[in-house]
Amino acid sequence: MSTTTIDQLRDTELSYRMFLAAGAIAVFSFIAFFGLVFPESIWADLLGILISRSTLSSALRLAVPITFAALGGIFAEKAGVINIGLEGLLIISAFTAVITTAVIGPGVTILGLPAIWVGFFAGVLASLAFSLIFAVVCIRFKADQIIAGLAVWLIALGLAPFAATVYYGGVNTDNVGTTLGTWTIPVLSDIPFFGALFDAGPAVYMMLIAVPASWFVLNRTAFGRHIRASGENPKALDTVGVDVSRVRYAGVLLSGFLSGIGGSALSLGLGQFIGNNQTMVNGKGFIAIVAYLFGNYNPLGAFGASFLFAGLEAVQIRLQQVPGYAIPDSLIQTIPYITVIVILALVGRTRIPQAAGEHYDTGEDNR
Amino acid sequence: MSAGNGAKSVLRRLVNASTVERILISFAALFMAVVVGAVIVLISGRVATCQTAAATFFGLGFCYDPVEVYLVLFNGALGGPFLLDAPGLFNPNWNPLNFGLALTLKETTLLIFTGLSVAVAFRAGLFNIGTQGQLILGALATALFAFFVAPFLPAGILGGLILIPLAILVGALVGGLYGAIPGALKAYADANEVITTIMLNFIAAQVAFVLVSEFFRNPDSQVVETTPLPDWGTLLPVAFPKGGDFSLLALAFGLALVVAVWYLLEQTSFGYDLRTSGEQPEAAEYGGVDAKRTTVTSMFLSGALGGIGGAIWVLMVMGKWQAGVPSLGFDGITVTILAGNNPFGIVPAALLFGTLKSGSLAVQFGTGVPKQLVGVLRGLIILFVAMPEFFRMIGSSINLETDDDAVATDGGRSLLGGDDE
Repeated sequence: MSTTTIDQLRDTELSYRMFLAAGAIAVFSFIAFFGLVFPESIWADLLGILISRSTLSSALRLAVPITFAALGGIFAEKAGVINIGLEGLLIISAFTAVITTAVIGPGVTILGLPAIWVGFFAGVLASLAFSLIFAVVCIRFKADQIIAGLAVWLIALGLAPFAATVYYGGVNTDNVGTTLGTWTIPVLSDIPFFGALFDAGPAVYMMLIAVPASWFVLNRTAFGRHIRASGENPKALDTVGVDVSRVRYAGVLLSGFLSGIGGSALSLGLGQFIGNNQTMVNGKGFIAIVAYLFGNYNPLGAFGASFLFAGLEAVQIRLQQVPGYAIPDSLIQTIPYITVIVILALVGRTRIPQAAGEHYDTGEDNR
Repeated sequence: MSAGNGAKSVLRRLVNASTVERILISFAALFMAVVVGAVIVLISGRVATCQTAAATFFGLGFCYDPVEVYLVLFNGALGGPFLLDAPGLFNPNWNPLNFGLALTLKETTLLIFTGLSVAVAFRAGLFNIGTQGQLILGALATALFAFFVAPFLPAGILGGLILIPLAILVGALVGGLYGAIPGALKAYADANEVITTIMLNFIAAQVAFVLVSEFFRNPDSQVVETTPLPDWGTLLPVAFPKGGDFSLLALAFGLALVVAVWYLLEQTSFGYDLRTSGEQPEAAEYGGVDAKRTTVTSMFLSGALGGIGGAIWVLMVMGKWQAGVPSLGFDGITVTILAGNNPFGIVPAALLFGTLKSGSLAVQFGTGVPKQLVGVLRGLIILFVAMPEFFRMIGSSINLETDDDAVATDGGRSLLGGDDE
């Protein structure tokens, strides 16, 4: 790769981030201005919601499944496999986490591990298993990645409500009665507003660690270099003696692992799996795809975008509780989806990895 | 065209070979999905609670017997021509015009429309996951149009003859316009249509819900739905029992549309443009096809077919719009993929999937296996059709020579130019 292309890449990455930051600041100052000038208006209410600590903490909570799925999507797509089945991975892990916890019994511990954490890991395992199937289908059997990803989504969308009906007689599971709870760090959690960062569910802390860790792995390690090369120029990787298929398997499995954390955290944060219509995942996997496209495959950018979508969701939920505005809830609920479309239209021309979506043949027979 | 007859016949042979292979792959995929589905049924039978085991394997009792599940499914979808428990095989009281078969044909009819919808976009190289949303809004438009126009028309057959075609047209128009949105976003902003159509599905469901619950709600009803249409304004069952909600007229209309779509795709210059822009976008551009316009037009067409599906759902099945529209759009993806994007293939594929859907009710009633099983099979079928390489390996191990052609998002039939590299 020549230096000019690297510079170009840096440029686009920078402009996206600046666009995101400038847009967010512009919207915020707009709301702040009107909110301060007209204290009785909707803008003042909005401002109040935006600067409240509980909005930040619910935005962080809502960002968890989107961020983890987006991080996973980055690894898979950077390695050359477009994983459109992230939604399915979230669904299957969310369901498995709850049903495992319920079967074990919420009060029971196994090897010193509370049932809810066993459920958490079971969810991650289920997602891993699904991503392994997806990887085999895409890499070994050379299936069209989009169709295979769609199949993963639709299988999970069918399987979770099916299994819930077998066990509970309805598409929703019962509430297991416990949740992952919150971990509060003394002193730090007393900071106004930002204290929400230190008074959060365990999955939020995991997310805050996973984002920089993913960035580091992708950009500063040999493994990350292999992942990127496998998506950009598999032939070169092959030439230096690295097994492209193995790197791609690793990328897809990582997407399963990370999505699994997101899915388990989503359902166990509530203690229940909701399986009607599009299930409780409700498009978060697809929003995650847009989040990493918006973040231009950079884990930090993807987190920024996920946090933006989650923030919209959090504001939307709070807005429903503000009395006096006759906007139907269902209409407000469409805001995140519309934003996703607008953003996708704005950043549609992202530079996807060169070889993403293509099969790679080593030339020799497939082992 | 300068292509000689020799080249043409070679092409034709290629197409035929691939058709045979496609049919083989579709059946193999269906078979594999049914086998995996059986394993899932068996496993869930260990988890479910029941009084007596339905089946015993390896000394373990299972609540569900997969073989029985599929027998009940098939028998139920046909309305019980076979006596599964009794000594005589055939049911002497079986009447072909029965409730079960009406249900099957109802599902088949609806799936023909949504299958065609996904197929048209597919052939243009576009993956329209948004048929569901286009169907929801098309259905709502049909229901509202019919409701507001009906009072101005004479009640009876004459009124129906005017109202029903117009209502279907309105549904097609609204569905088409909603489909054109992701088409335009794809053409002019390069926004991936898979994501935008999925987002638009969520938006359609919410917007339709708000419109009905806030403005057009039936005041006499507890659920969110529009006021029912008069009987003369709906497609009434012909010959089949009333409860089955199946009208032969709608099926005939669906079959006519199959022929029309085939003609449009294969015999018109627009269809040629559409297919080439799906198979070889660069070549199409080079040949003077306006790819952007073709993208928008084919998405409009795809959405319109989805909208018609919604219109038929309102006029034939519900007689009104009701929240909680069944996932016919997603089922349409399975139907199309099973049919290898061929309009004529959609009819048997829709019939097959319609059988699964209607039989699943009999399965839930007869064996206790939840009807959501069909949702699992829907995904499994897509997964297996997507991996022809799998069957090719099995095929080559039993010495069956097959061609290289997968169902792919580049429009399906990439026969002419070989694989994209």
